Amino acid sequence: MDEFELLRYVTVGQYIPTGSLIHRLDPRFKLAAFAVLVGAVTFTGSYLGNAVLLVLIVGLVFLSRVPLRYVLSGLRPALPVLLLLAALQILLYTPDFTRGTNCTTLFQFWIIHSTTCGVKLAIVSAARFVELLMLTSLLTLTTTTTELTHGIERLFAPLQQRFNFPAHELALIVTITLRFVPTFAEELERIVKAQVSRGADLGQRGRLRFIQQTRALLPMLVPLFLGALRRAEELILAMEARCYMGGKGRTRLIELHSTRQDVVALFVAVLAAATVLLVPWPW
Amino acid sequence: MSEVVVEVRGLEHTYMRGTPMEAPSLKGVDFDVRRGETVALLGHTGCGKSTLVQHLNGLLRPQKGRVRVLEYDLNDPKVDVKALRRRVALLFQNPEAQLFERYVGDDVAFGPRQLGLSREEVRARVREALEAVGLGFEAFKDRLTFTLSGGEKRRVALAGVLALRPEILVLDEPLAGLDPAGRRHLVELIRRLKSEWGLTLILVSHDLEDVVLLADRCFVMADGRVVLSGTPREIFSQPPARLAEFGLQPPAVTAAVHALAEAGLGVRRDCLTVDEAVSEIARALGMGGKPWTSSSCCAT
Ligand SMILES: Nc1ncnc2c1ncn2[C@@H]1O[C@H](COP(=O)(O)OP(=O)(O)OP(=O)(O)O)[C@@H](O)[C@H]1O
Ligand SMILES: [Mg+2]
Repeated sequence: MDEFELLRYVTVGQYIPTGSLIHRLDPRFKLAAFAVLVGAVTFTGSYLGNAVLLVLIVGLVFLSRVPLRYVLSGLRPALPVLLLLAALQILLYTPDFTRGTNCTTLFQFWIIHSTTCGVKLAIVSAARFVELLMLTSLLTLTTTTTELTHGIERLFAPLQQRFNFPAHELALIVTITLRFVPTFAEELERIVKAQVSRGADLGQRGRLRFIQQTRALLPMLVPLFLGALRRAEELILAMEARCYMGGKGRTRLIELHSTRQDVVALFVAVLAAATVLLVPWPW
Repeated sequence: MSEVVVEVRGLEHTYMRGTPMEAPSLKGVDFDVRRGETVALLGHTGCGKSTLVQHLNGLLRPQKGRVRVLEYDLNDPKVDVKALRRRVALLFQNPEAQLFERYVGDDVAFGPRQLGLSREEVRARVREALEAVGLGFEAFKDRLTFTLSGGEKRRVALAGVLALRPEILVLDEPLAGLDPAGRRHLVELIRRLKSEWGLTLILVSHDLEDVVLLADRCFVMADGRVVLSGTPREIFSQPPARLAEFGLQPPAVTAAVHALAEAGLGVRRDCLTVDEAVSEIARALGMGGKPWTSSSCCAT
Protein backbone atom coordinates (compact mmCIF):
# COMPACT_ATOMS: atom_id res chain seq x y z
CA MET A 1 0.00 0.00 0.00
CA ASP A 2 1.69 3.18 -1.11
CA GLU A 3 -0.79 5.79 -0.02
CA PHE A 4 1.68 8.61 -0.57
CA GLU A 5 3.39 7.57 -3.75
CA LEU A 6 1.50 10.18 -5.73
CA LEU A 7 4.30 10.38 -8.24
CA ARG A 8 3.49 6.96 -9.50
CA TYR A 9 0.17 8.13 -10.86
CA VAL A 10 1.47 11.18 -12.64
CA THR A 11 2.43 10.15 -16.14
CA VAL A 12 2.12 13.59 -17.73
CA GLY A 13 5.46 15.35 -17.73
CA GLN A 14 7.61 12.29 -17.12
CA TYR A 15 10.11 11.16 -19.71
CA ILE A 16 10.98 7.52 -20.22
CA PRO A 17 13.85 6.89 -22.62
CA THR A 18 13.47 3.69 -24.59
CA GLY A 19 15.00 4.93 -27.83
CA SER A 20 12.01 3.79 -29.87
CA LEU A 21 10.92 5.10 -33.25
CA ILE A 22 8.50 7.50 -31.57
CA HIS A 23 11.28 8.84 -29.39
CA ARG A 24 13.48 9.53 -32.37
CA LEU A 25 10.92 11.50 -34.39
CA ASP A 26 11.71 15.13 -35.09
CA PRO A 27 9.82 17.06 -32.37
CA ARG A 28 8.32 19.47 -34.92
CA PHE A 29 6.68 16.64 -36.82
CA LYS A 30 5.79 14.83 -33.62
CA LEU A 31 4.06 17.93 -32.28
CA ALA A 32 2.22 18.53 -35.55
CA ALA A 33 1.05 14.92 -35.64
CA PHE A 34 0.02 15.24 -32.00
CA ALA A 35 -2.01 18.37 -32.78
CA VAL A 36 -3.71 16.63 -35.70
CA LEU A 37 -4.64 13.64 -33.55
CA VAL A 38 -5.89 15.86 -30.72
CA GLY A 39 -8.08 17.63 -33.28
CA ALA A 40 -9.42 14.29 -34.47
CA VAL A 41 -10.23 13.22 -30.91
CA THR A 42 -11.94 16.52 -30.18
CA PHE A 43 -14.21 16.51 -33.20
CA THR A 44 -15.15 12.83 -33.35
CA GLY A 45 -18.58 12.22 -31.90
CA SER A 46 -19.20 8.66 -33.01
CA TYR A 47 -18.51 5.38 -31.22
CA LEU A 48 -16.68 3.84 -34.15
CA GLY A 49 -14.52 6.89 -34.77
CA ASN A 50 -13.43 6.88 -31.15
CA ALA A 51 -12.78 3.15 -31.25
CA VAL A 52 -10.52 3.60 -34.26
CA LEU A 53 -8.63 6.38 -32.52
CA LEU A 54 -8.28 4.32 -29.36
CA VAL A 55 -6.81 1.42 -31.31
CA LEU A 56 -4.45 3.78 -33.11
CA ILE A 57 -3.25 5.36 -29.86
CA VAL A 58 -2.72 1.99 -28.18
CA GLY A 59 -0.74 0.99 -31.26
CA LEU A 60 1.42 4.10 -30.87
CA VAL A 61 2.03 3.25 -27.22
CA PHE A 62 3.23 -0.21 -28.25
CA LEU A 63 5.46 1.35 -30.85
CA SER A 64 6.99 3.65 -28.22
CA ARG A 65 7.85 0.64 -26.01
CA VAL A 66 6.59 2.45 -22.91
CA PRO A 67 4.56 -0.10 -20.91
CA LEU A 68 0.84 0.39 -21.64
CA ARG A 69 0.05 -0.26 -17.97
CA TYR A 70 2.19 2.69 -17.00
CA VAL A 71 0.49 5.03 -19.47
CA LEU A 72 -2.92 3.91 -18.23
CA SER A 73 -1.99 4.28 -14.56
CA GLY A 74 -2.19 8.04 -15.09
CA LEU A 75 -5.95 7.59 -15.40
CA ARG A 76 -6.39 6.38 -11.87
CA PRO A 77 -6.56 9.72 -10.04
CA ALA A 78 -8.98 11.06 -12.67
CA LEU A 79 -11.36 8.14 -12.33
CA PRO A 80 -13.71 9.66 -9.68
CA VAL A 81 -14.11 12.85 -11.73
CA LEU A 82 -14.71 10.82 -14.86
CA LEU A 83 -17.44 8.79 -13.17
CA LEU A 84 -19.10 11.85 -11.70
CA LEU A 85 -19.09 13.54 -15.07
CA ALA A 86 -20.60 10.52 -16.75
CA ALA A 87 -23.33 10.31 -14.10
CA LEU A 88 -24.24 13.96 -14.55
CA GLN A 89 -24.34 13.64 -18.32
CA ILE A 90 -26.53 10.56 -18.23
CA LEU A 91 -28.94 12.01 -15.67
CA LEU A 92 -29.20 15.66 -16.66
CA TYR A 93 -28.30 16.02 -20.33
CA THR A 94 -31.30 17.16 -22.35
CA PRO A 95 -31.38 16.96 -26.14
CA ASP A 96 -32.30 20.66 -26.34
CA PHE A 97 -28.60 21.36 -26.34
CA THR A 98 -28.13 19.74 -29.70
CA ARG A 99 -29.84 20.52 -32.95
CA GLY A 100 -32.12 18.05 -34.57
CA THR A 101 -31.21 14.94 -32.62
CA ASN A 102 -33.42 11.96 -32.39
CA CYS A 103 -33.10 10.84 -28.81
CA THR A 104 -35.38 8.49 -27.00
CA THR A 105 -36.14 9.20 -23.38
CA LEU A 106 -35.07 6.39 -21.06
CA PHE A 107 -36.78 7.78 -18.01
CA GLN A 108 -37.83 11.13 -16.65
CA PHE A 109 -38.31 12.20 -13.04
CA TRP A 110 -38.29 15.73 -11.60
CA ILE A 111 -35.19 17.43 -13.09
CA ILE A 112 -33.69 14.13 -14.05
CA HIS A 113 -34.03 13.48 -17.73
CA SER A 114 -32.16 10.51 -19.05
CA THR A 115 -31.94 9.97 -22.80
CA THR A 116 -29.99 7.78 -25.18
CA CYS A 117 -28.15 10.92 -26.29
CA GLY A 118 -26.99 11.49 -22.71
CA VAL A 119 -25.65 7.95 -22.56
CA LYS A 120 -23.85 8.38 -25.85
CA LEU A 121 -22.41 11.70 -24.78
CA ALA A 122 -21.17 10.17 -21.52
CA ILE A 123 -19.47 7.27 -23.26
CA VAL A 124 -17.96 9.39 -26.00
CA SER A 125 -16.61 12.03 -23.65
CA ALA A 126 -15.12 9.39 -21.35
CA ALA A 127 -13.43 7.85 -24.39
CA ARG A 128 -12.18 11.26 -25.48
CA PHE A 129 -10.78 11.94 -22.07
CA VAL A 130 -8.89 8.65 -22.06
CA GLU A 131 -7.58 9.28 -25.56
CA LEU A 132 -6.44 12.81 -24.78
CA LEU A 133 -4.71 11.75 -21.61
CA MET A 134 -2.95 8.89 -23.37
CA LEU A 135 -1.88 11.13 -26.22
CA THR A 136 -0.50 13.81 -23.93
CA SER A 137 1.26 11.25 -21.77
CA LEU A 138 2.70 9.62 -24.85
CA LEU A 139 4.02 12.93 -26.11
CA THR A 140 5.81 13.84 -22.88
CA LEU A 141 6.92 10.26 -22.16
CA THR A 142 8.74 10.12 -25.48
CA THR A 143 9.99 13.70 -25.84
CA THR A 144 12.51 15.48 -23.67
CA THR A 145 11.69 18.94 -22.45
CA THR A 146 14.40 20.45 -24.61
CA GLU A 147 13.05 18.78 -27.72
CA LEU A 148 9.55 19.99 -26.89
CA THR A 149 10.75 23.55 -26.49
CA HIS A 150 12.63 23.50 -29.77
CA GLY A 151 9.71 21.90 -31.54
CA ILE A 152 7.14 24.41 -30.34
CA GLU A 153 9.43 27.31 -30.99
CA ARG A 154 10.21 26.24 -34.54
CA LEU A 155 6.61 25.44 -35.36
CA PHE A 156 5.52 28.92 -34.37
CA ALA A 157 8.56 30.69 -35.79
CA PRO A 158 6.77 31.75 -39.03
CA LEU A 159 4.05 33.41 -36.94
CA GLN A 160 6.70 35.25 -35.01
CA GLN A 161 8.21 36.68 -38.17
CA ARG A 162 4.88 37.67 -39.64
CA PHE A 163 2.89 38.91 -36.65
CA ASN A 164 5.50 39.24 -33.93
CA PHE A 165 3.92 36.28 -32.17
CA PRO A 166 5.92 35.40 -29.02
CA ALA A 167 6.83 31.87 -30.11
CA HIS A 168 9.81 31.52 -27.84
CA GLU A 169 7.88 32.63 -24.78
CA LEU A 170 5.03 30.29 -25.62
CA ALA A 171 7.47 27.41 -25.90
CA LEU A 172 8.95 28.33 -22.57
CA ILE A 173 5.56 28.49 -20.84
CA VAL A 174 4.46 25.12 -22.21
CA THR A 175 7.73 23.52 -21.24
CA ILE A 176 7.68 24.86 -17.71
CA THR A 177 4.07 23.83 -17.24
CA LEU A 178 4.73 20.26 -18.32
CA ARG A 179 7.94 20.03 -16.40
CA PHE A 180 6.27 21.19 -13.19
CA VAL A 181 3.46 18.65 -13.10
CA PRO A 182 5.61 15.94 -11.52
CA THR A 183 7.31 18.55 -9.38
CA PHE A 184 3.99 19.53 -7.86
CA ALA A 185 3.10 15.91 -7.28
CA GLU A 186 6.37 15.62 -5.38
CA GLU A 187 5.64 18.78 -3.44
CA LEU A 188 2.17 17.56 -2.54
CA GLU A 189 3.62 14.26 -1.40
CA ARG A 190 6.06 16.14 0.81
CA ILE A 191 3.33 18.26 2.41
CA VAL A 192 1.03 15.31 2.94
CA LYS A 193 3.84 13.36 4.56
CA ALA A 194 4.82 16.29 6.78
CA GLN A 195 1.24 16.76 7.95
CA VAL A 196 0.27 13.16 8.56
CA SER A 197 3.55 12.47 10.32
CA ARG A 198 2.44 15.06 12.84
CA GLY A 199 -0.91 13.49 13.44
CA ALA A 200 -3.06 14.97 10.66
CA ASP A 201 -5.99 12.84 9.62
CA LEU A 202 -6.24 11.67 6.04
CA GLY A 203 -9.63 10.19 6.80
CA GLN A 204 -8.82 6.64 5.81
CA ARG A 205 -11.48 5.04 7.93
CA GLY A 206 -15.22 5.13 7.67
CA ARG A 207 -17.79 4.84 4.95
CA LEU A 208 -17.52 8.29 3.38
CA ARG A 209 -13.80 7.97 2.71
CA PHE A 210 -14.01 10.01 -0.45
CA ILE A 211 -15.55 13.09 1.17
CA GLN A 212 -13.31 12.85 4.21
CA GLN A 213 -10.21 12.54 2.09
CA THR A 214 -11.18 15.51 -0.01
CA ARG A 215 -11.76 17.60 3.10
CA ALA A 216 -8.44 16.53 4.54
CA LEU A 217 -6.74 17.75 1.37
CA LEU A 218 -7.86 21.35 1.85
CA PRO A 219 -5.26 22.34 4.47
CA MET A 220 -2.65 20.85 2.16
CA LEU A 221 -3.60 22.99 -0.80
CA VAL A 222 -2.65 26.32 0.75
CA PRO A 223 0.97 25.30 1.37
CA LEU A 224 1.02 23.74 -2.09
CA PHE A 225 0.11 27.03 -3.75
CA LEU A 226 2.50 28.99 -1.59
CA GLY A 227 5.18 26.51 -2.50
CA ALA A 228 4.33 26.90 -6.18
CA LEU A 229 4.75 30.66 -5.98
CA ARG A 230 8.04 30.26 -4.16
CA ARG A 231 9.26 27.82 -6.77
CA ALA A 232 8.30 30.25 -9.53
CA GLU A 233 10.36 32.91 -7.82
CA GLU A 234 13.32 30.58 -7.49
CA LEU A 235 13.04 29.68 -11.16
CA ILE A 236 13.08 33.35 -12.14
CA LEU A 237 16.13 33.87 -9.99
CA ALA A 238 17.88 30.89 -11.52
CA MET A 239 17.09 32.11 -15.03
CA GLU A 240 18.26 35.62 -14.34
CA ALA A 241 21.41 34.33 -12.69
CA ARG A 242 22.17 32.65 -16.02
CA CYS A 243 21.49 35.90 -17.86
CA TYR A 244 18.38 34.59 -19.58
CA MET A 245 17.20 37.16 -22.11
CA GLY A 246 14.33 35.60 -24.01
CA GLY A 247 14.17 34.62 -27.64
CA LYS A 248 15.82 37.50 -29.44
CA GLY A 249 19.09 36.67 -31.08
CA ARG A 250 19.46 33.28 -29.41
CA THR A 251 21.19 30.58 -31.38
CA ARG A 252 20.60 26.89 -30.89
CA LEU A 253 22.81 24.14 -29.60
CA ILE A 254 20.71 21.54 -31.35
CA GLU A 255 19.63 21.98 -34.94
CA LEU A 256 16.65 19.87 -35.92
CA HIS A 257 16.83 17.70 -39.00
CA SER A 258 13.79 16.01 -40.42
CA THR A 259 13.97 12.69 -42.25
CA ARG A 260 11.57 10.70 -44.37
CA GLN A 261 10.36 8.90 -41.25
CA ASP A 262 9.06 12.17 -39.84
CA VAL A 263 7.14 13.01 -42.96
CA VAL A 264 5.64 9.53 -43.04
CA ALA A 265 4.60 9.81 -39.38
CA LEU A 266 2.84 13.11 -39.98
CA PHE A 267 1.20 11.71 -43.08
CA VAL A 268 -0.12 8.71 -41.12
CA ALA A 269 -1.55 11.04 -38.45
CA VAL A 270 -3.29 13.21 -41.05
CA LEU A 271 -4.62 10.15 -42.82
CA ALA A 272 -5.98 8.73 -39.58
CA ALA A 273 -7.59 12.03 -38.62
CA ALA A 274 -9.14 12.42 -42.06
CA THR A 275 -10.52 8.87 -41.97
CA VAL A 276 -12.04 9.36 -38.58
CA LEU A 277 -13.50 12.77 -39.34
CA LEU A 278 -14.68 12.35 -42.94
CA VAL A 279 -16.11 8.84 -42.96
CA PRO A 280 -19.79 8.96 -41.96
CA TRP A 281 -19.62 6.33 -39.25
CA PRO A 282 -22.97 4.53 -38.89
CA TRP A 283 -22.93 4.92 -35.09
CA MET B 1 15.89 -5.97 29.77
CA SER B 2 13.19 -3.60 28.61
CA GLU B 3 10.61 -4.46 25.99
CA VAL B 4 11.26 -4.36 22.27
CA VAL B 5 9.35 -1.36 20.86
CA VAL B 6 10.49 -1.55 17.24
CA GLU B 7 10.80 -4.83 15.44
CA VAL B 8 11.60 -5.04 11.73
CA ARG B 9 12.04 -8.42 10.04
CA GLY B 10 13.06 -9.09 6.45
CA LEU B 11 11.75 -5.73 5.27
CA GLU B 12 11.91 -5.05 1.55
CA HIS B 13 10.87 -1.94 -0.33
CA THR B 14 10.89 -0.90 -3.98
CA TYR B 15 10.13 2.67 -4.98
CA MET B 16 7.88 3.32 -7.98
CA ARG B 17 6.95 -0.34 -8.03
CA GLY B 18 5.29 -1.38 -11.24
CA THR B 19 6.67 1.48 -13.31
CA PRO B 20 9.68 1.67 -15.59
CA MET B 21 11.45 3.70 -12.90
CA GLU B 22 11.45 0.91 -10.30
CA ALA B 23 14.18 1.32 -7.67
CA PRO B 24 14.70 -1.39 -5.05
CA SER B 25 15.93 0.32 -1.90
CA LEU B 26 15.50 -2.18 0.96
CA LYS B 27 16.43 -5.79 0.39
CA GLY B 28 15.64 -7.57 3.62
CA VAL B 29 16.36 -5.50 6.72
CA ASP B 30 16.31 -6.83 10.30
CA PHE B 31 16.31 -4.17 12.97
CA ASP B 32 15.07 -3.78 16.52
CA VAL B 33 15.02 -1.18 19.26
CA ARG B 34 14.22 -1.52 22.96
CA ARG B 35 12.38 1.01 25.06
CA GLY B 36 14.60 3.82 26.33
CA GLU B 37 17.43 2.81 24.08
CA THR B 38 19.31 5.09 21.68
CA VAL B 39 20.10 3.44 18.39
CA ALA B 40 22.15 4.84 15.52
CA LEU B 41 21.47 3.85 11.94
CA LEU B 42 24.55 4.34 9.76
CA GLY B 43 25.34 3.91 6.12
CA HIS B 44 26.48 5.59 2.96
CA THR B 45 24.28 7.77 0.78
CA GLY B 46 21.40 5.90 -0.81
CA CYS B 47 21.71 2.74 1.28
CA GLY B 48 18.08 3.00 2.38
CA LYS B 49 18.18 4.60 5.84
CA SER B 50 15.48 7.16 5.16
CA THR B 51 13.35 4.52 3.50
CA LEU B 52 13.65 2.31 6.57
CA VAL B 53 12.75 5.03 9.07
CA GLN B 54 9.71 6.09 7.06
CA HIS B 55 8.30 2.65 7.79
CA LEU B 56 8.53 3.29 11.52
CA ASN B 57 5.66 5.77 11.58
CA GLY B 58 3.67 4.27 8.77
CA LEU B 59 4.57 6.72 6.01
CA LEU B 60 5.60 3.66 4.05
CA ARG B 61 3.99 0.28 4.53
CA PRO B 62 5.90 -2.99 4.32
CA GLN B 63 5.77 -4.43 0.81
CA LYS B 64 7.48 -7.56 2.05
CA GLY B 65 8.57 -8.51 5.56
CA ARG B 66 7.18 -7.47 8.94
CA VAL B 67 7.21 -4.19 10.85
CA ARG B 68 5.90 -3.79 14.37
CA VAL B 69 6.20 -0.53 16.32
CA LEU B 70 4.91 -0.39 19.91
CA GLU B 71 1.70 -2.40 19.76
CA TYR B 72 0.98 -1.46 16.16
CA ASP B 73 1.42 -4.11 13.51
CA LEU B 74 2.03 -2.22 10.27
CA ASN B 75 1.32 -5.27 8.17
CA ASP B 76 -2.30 -4.96 9.23
CA PRO B 77 -3.97 -2.62 6.70
CA LYS B 78 -6.50 -1.52 9.33
CA VAL B 79 -3.93 -0.51 11.93
CA ASP B 80 -4.53 2.93 13.48
CA VAL B 81 -1.56 4.75 11.90
CA LYS B 82 -2.81 8.08 13.17
CA ALA B 83 -2.45 6.95 16.77
CA LEU B 84 0.94 5.46 15.93
CA ARG B 85 2.20 8.70 14.40
CA ARG B 86 1.36 10.60 17.56
CA ARG B 87 3.59 8.32 19.59
CA VAL B 88 6.39 7.91 17.06
CA ALA B 89 7.68 11.22 15.71
CA LEU B 90 9.93 11.53 12.69
CA LEU B 91 12.21 14.46 11.94
CA PHE B 92 12.68 14.44 8.17
CA GLN B 93 16.10 14.50 6.63
CA ASN B 94 15.48 17.80 4.94
CA PRO B 95 14.18 20.37 7.44
CA GLU B 96 12.57 22.48 4.71
CA ALA B 97 10.56 19.41 3.81
CA GLN B 98 8.85 19.41 7.16
CA LEU B 99 7.69 23.00 7.48
CA PHE B 100 4.48 23.89 5.72
CA GLU B 101 2.80 26.63 7.72
CA ARG B 102 3.58 30.30 7.20
CA TYR B 103 4.43 31.14 10.77
CA VAL B 104 6.82 29.31 13.04
CA GLY B 105 4.31 29.28 15.90
CA ASP B 106 1.59 27.75 13.71
CA ASP B 107 3.95 25.16 12.39
CA VAL B 108 5.04 23.98 15.81
CA ALA B 109 1.42 24.08 16.98
CA PHE B 110 0.21 21.87 14.15
CA GLY B 111 0.83 18.61 16.02
CA PRO B 112 -0.71 19.66 19.35
CA ARG B 113 -3.74 21.10 17.50
CA GLN B 114 -4.25 17.78 15.77
CA LEU B 115 -4.32 16.20 19.22
CA GLY B 116 -7.31 18.40 20.02
CA LEU B 117 -5.69 20.19 22.96
CA SER B 118 -6.99 23.45 24.39
CA ARG B 119 -5.54 26.80 23.28
CA GLU B 120 -3.55 27.23 26.50
CA GLU B 121 -2.23 23.72 26.34
CA VAL B 122 -1.16 24.18 22.71
CA ARG B 123 0.56 27.44 23.61
CA ALA B 124 2.35 25.84 26.53
CA ARG B 125 3.58 23.02 24.35
CA VAL B 126 4.78 25.34 21.62
CA ARG B 127 6.66 27.40 24.20
CA GLU B 128 8.19 24.32 25.75
CA ALA B 129 9.21 22.86 22.40
CA LEU B 130 10.67 26.09 21.00
CA GLU B 131 12.62 26.70 24.17
CA ALA B 132 13.88 23.12 24.25
CA VAL B 133 15.49 23.63 20.84
CA GLY B 134 16.94 26.96 21.95
CA LEU B 135 14.67 29.36 20.08
CA GLY B 136 12.94 32.06 22.09
CA PHE B 137 9.15 31.65 22.06
CA GLU B 138 8.39 35.37 21.81
CA ALA B 139 11.14 36.05 19.29
CA PHE B 140 10.30 33.23 16.92
CA LYS B 141 6.61 32.39 17.11
CA ASP B 142 5.62 35.10 14.62
CA ARG B 143 8.53 34.68 12.21
CA LEU B 144 7.71 33.55 8.68
CA THR B 145 9.08 30.06 8.21
CA PHE B 146 10.73 30.75 4.88
CA THR B 147 12.74 33.61 6.34
CA LEU B 148 14.58 31.27 8.71
CA SER B 149 18.13 30.12 8.15
CA GLY B 150 18.75 26.44 7.43
CA GLY B 151 19.83 25.74 11.00
CA GLU B 152 16.82 27.56 12.44
CA LYS B 153 14.50 25.62 10.14
CA ARG B 154 16.02 22.40 11.42
CA ARG B 155 15.33 23.47 14.98
CA VAL B 156 11.78 24.57 14.26
CA ALA B 157 11.12 21.24 12.56
CA LEU B 158 12.50 19.48 15.63
CA ALA B 159 10.32 21.64 17.88
CA GLY B 160 7.34 20.66 15.73
CA VAL B 161 7.84 16.97 16.45
CA LEU B 162 8.80 17.49 20.11
CA ALA B 163 5.51 19.32 20.64
CA LEU B 164 3.78 16.00 20.03
CA ARG B 165 5.56 14.63 23.14
CA PRO B 166 6.31 11.34 21.39
CA GLU B 167 7.63 8.17 23.02
CA ILE B 168 9.91 7.30 20.15
CA LEU B 169 11.77 9.99 18.23
CA VAL B 170 13.43 9.30 14.90
CA LEU B 171 15.96 11.89 13.73
CA ASP B 172 17.00 11.54 10.09
CA GLU B 173 20.46 13.10 9.71
CA PRO B 174 19.86 15.73 12.39
CA LEU B 175 23.36 17.20 12.14
CA ALA B 176 23.79 17.44 8.39
CA GLY B 177 24.71 20.91 7.26
CA LEU B 178 25.02 22.53 10.70
CA ASP B 179 27.97 24.62 11.81
CA PRO B 180 30.11 23.42 14.78
CA ALA B 181 28.17 25.49 17.31
CA GLY B 182 24.85 24.25 15.90
CA ARG B 183 26.11 20.68 16.04
CA ARG B 184 27.26 21.00 19.64
CA HIS B 185 23.94 22.51 20.62
CA LEU B 186 21.98 19.76 18.91
CA VAL B 187 24.12 16.96 20.34
CA GLU B 188 23.56 18.49 23.75
CA LEU B 189 19.82 18.65 23.11
CA ILE B 190 19.72 15.03 21.99
CA ARG B 191 21.62 14.05 25.12
CA ARG B 192 18.96 15.86 27.17
CA LEU B 193 16.10 14.24 25.27
CA LYS B 194 17.66 10.94 26.13
CA SER B 195 18.33 11.55 29.82
CA GLU B 196 15.60 14.01 30.85
CA TRP B 197 12.73 13.26 28.50
CA GLY B 198 13.52 9.54 28.55
CA LEU B 199 12.79 9.18 24.85
CA THR B 200 13.61 6.16 22.78
CA LEU B 201 15.82 7.63 20.07
CA ILE B 202 16.72 6.46 16.60
CA LEU B 203 19.48 8.54 15.03
CA VAL B 204 20.27 8.33 11.34
CA SER B 205 23.67 9.38 10.10
CA HIS B 206 25.73 8.80 6.98
CA ASP B 207 28.93 9.34 8.85
CA LEU B 208 30.63 8.15 12.01
CA GLU B 209 30.19 11.46 13.77
CA ASP B 210 29.97 12.61 17.36
CA VAL B 211 26.23 12.07 17.63
CA VAL B 212 26.77 8.36 17.06
CA LEU B 213 28.65 8.23 20.37
CA LEU B 214 25.35 8.89 22.12
CA ALA B 215 24.00 5.59 20.85
CA ASP B 216 23.80 2.39 22.84
CA ARG B 217 23.87 0.35 19.68
CA CYS B 218 24.61 0.99 16.01
CA PHE B 219 23.35 -0.65 12.87
CA VAL B 220 25.41 -0.21 9.72
CA MET B 221 23.49 -0.47 6.46
CA ALA B 222 24.86 -0.94 2.97
CA ASP B 223 22.91 -1.41 -0.20
CA GLY B 224 19.54 -2.04 1.42
CA ARG B 225 20.74 -4.45 4.10
CA VAL B 226 22.05 -4.29 7.67
CA VAL B 227 25.65 -5.46 7.40
CA LEU B 228 27.10 -4.73 10.83
CA SER B 229 25.78 -4.03 14.30
CA GLY B 230 27.24 -3.42 17.73
CA THR B 231 28.15 -0.71 20.20
CA PRO B 232 29.66 2.49 18.82
CA ARG B 233 33.01 1.37 20.21
CA GLU B 234 32.82 -1.93 18.36
CA ILE B 235 31.87 -0.20 15.13
CA PHE B 236 34.46 2.57 15.37
CA SER B 237 37.26 0.15 16.15
CA GLN B 238 36.69 -1.85 12.98
CA PRO B 239 39.68 -1.63 10.66
CA PRO B 240 39.28 1.43 8.42
CA ALA B 241 39.48 -0.81 5.35
CA ARG B 242 36.45 -2.77 6.51
CA LEU B 243 34.45 0.40 7.16
CA ALA B 244 35.46 1.71 3.76
CA GLU B 245 33.98 -1.44 2.26
CA PHE B 246 30.59 -0.22 3.49
CA GLY B 247 31.22 3.33 2.31
CA LEU B 248 31.96 4.70 5.78
CA GLN B 249 34.93 6.72 6.87
CA PRO B 250 36.27 6.43 10.42
CA PRO B 251 36.67 9.68 12.38
CA ALA B 252 40.15 11.22 12.26
CA VAL B 253 40.93 10.16 15.84
CA THR B 254 40.15 6.51 15.21
CA ALA B 255 42.03 6.56 11.92
CA ALA B 256 45.04 8.04 13.70
CA VAL B 257 45.23 5.41 16.45
CA HIS B 258 44.74 2.68 13.86
CA ALA B 259 47.64 4.09 11.88
CA LEU B 260 49.79 4.30 15.03
CA ALA B 261 48.95 0.72 15.94
CA GLU B 262 49.82 -0.40 12.41
CA ALA B 263 53.12 1.42 12.76
CA GLY B 264 53.92 -0.69 15.81
CA LEU B 265 52.92 1.54 18.71
CA GLY B 266 51.11 -0.47 21.38
CA VAL B 267 47.93 1.57 21.54
CA ARG B 268 44.37 0.34 21.79
CA ARG B 269 42.52 0.82 18.55
CA ASP B 270 39.12 1.74 19.94
CA CYS B 271 39.71 5.31 21.06
CA LEU B 272 36.68 7.41 20.28
CA THR B 273 37.54 10.91 21.44
CA VAL B 274 40.60 13.13 21.26
CA ASP B 275 41.02 12.92 25.05
CA GLU B 276 40.99 9.14 25.02
CA ALA B 277 43.48 9.03 22.19
CA VAL B 278 45.79 11.51 23.91
CA SER B 279 45.95 9.61 27.17
CA GLU B 280 46.26 6.29 25.35
CA ILE B 281 49.15 7.50 23.21
CA ALA B 282 50.80 9.11 26.23
CA ARG B 283 50.50 5.80 28.09
CA ALA B 284 51.91 3.82 25.17
CA LEU B 285 54.85 6.21 24.95
CA GLY B 286 55.49 5.75 28.66
CA MET B 287 54.65 9.33 29.50
CA GLY B 288 52.36 8.37 32.35
CA GLY B 289 48.72 9.20 32.17
CA LYS B 290 46.11 6.91 33.61
CA PRO B 291 44.93 4.02 31.49
CA TRP B 292 41.25 4.37 30.83
CA THR B 293 38.48 1.86 30.73
CA SER B 294 35.53 1.69 28.45
CA SER B 295 33.15 2.57 31.24
CA SER B 296 34.88 5.82 32.07
CA CYS B 297 34.32 7.29 28.68
CA CYS B 298 32.24 9.40 26.51
CA ALA B 299 29.01 7.77 25.48
CA THR B 300 27.09 8.85 28.56
N1 LIG C 1 10.74 8.70 -3.91
C1 LIG C 1 11.67 7.90 -4.45
N2 LIG C 1 11.47 7.39 -5.68
C2 LIG C 1 12.37 6.58 -6.23
N3 LIG C 1 13.51 6.19 -5.66
C3 LIG C 1 13.78 6.67 -4.44
C4 LIG C 1 12.88 7.54 -3.77
N4 LIG C 1 13.41 7.85 -2.57
C5 LIG C 1 14.58 7.20 -2.51
N5 LIG C 1 14.82 6.47 -3.61
C6 LIG C 1 15.99 5.60 -3.87
O1 LIG C 1 16.05 4.61 -2.86
C7 LIG C 1 17.36 4.44 -2.38
C8 LIG C 1 17.42 4.63 -0.87
O2 LIG C 1 17.09 5.96 -0.58
P1 LIG C 1 17.12 6.54 0.90
O3 LIG C 1 16.56 7.91 0.84
O4 LIG C 1 16.47 5.60 1.82
O5 LIG C 1 18.69 6.61 1.18
P2 LIG C 1 19.45 7.12 2.47
O6 LIG C 1 20.17 5.96 3.03
O7 LIG C 1 18.54 7.86 3.36
O8 LIG C 1 20.52 8.12 1.83
P3 LIG C 1 21.06 9.52 2.37
O9 LIG C 1 22.17 9.25 3.30
O10 LIG C 1 21.55 10.19 1.13
O11 LIG C 1 19.90 10.22 2.98
C9 LIG C 1 18.23 5.41 -3.15
O12 LIG C 1 18.90 4.68 -4.15
C10 LIG C 1 17.27 6.39 -3.75
O13 LIG C 1 17.72 6.80 -5.01
MG1 LIG D 1 18.32 9.73 3.95
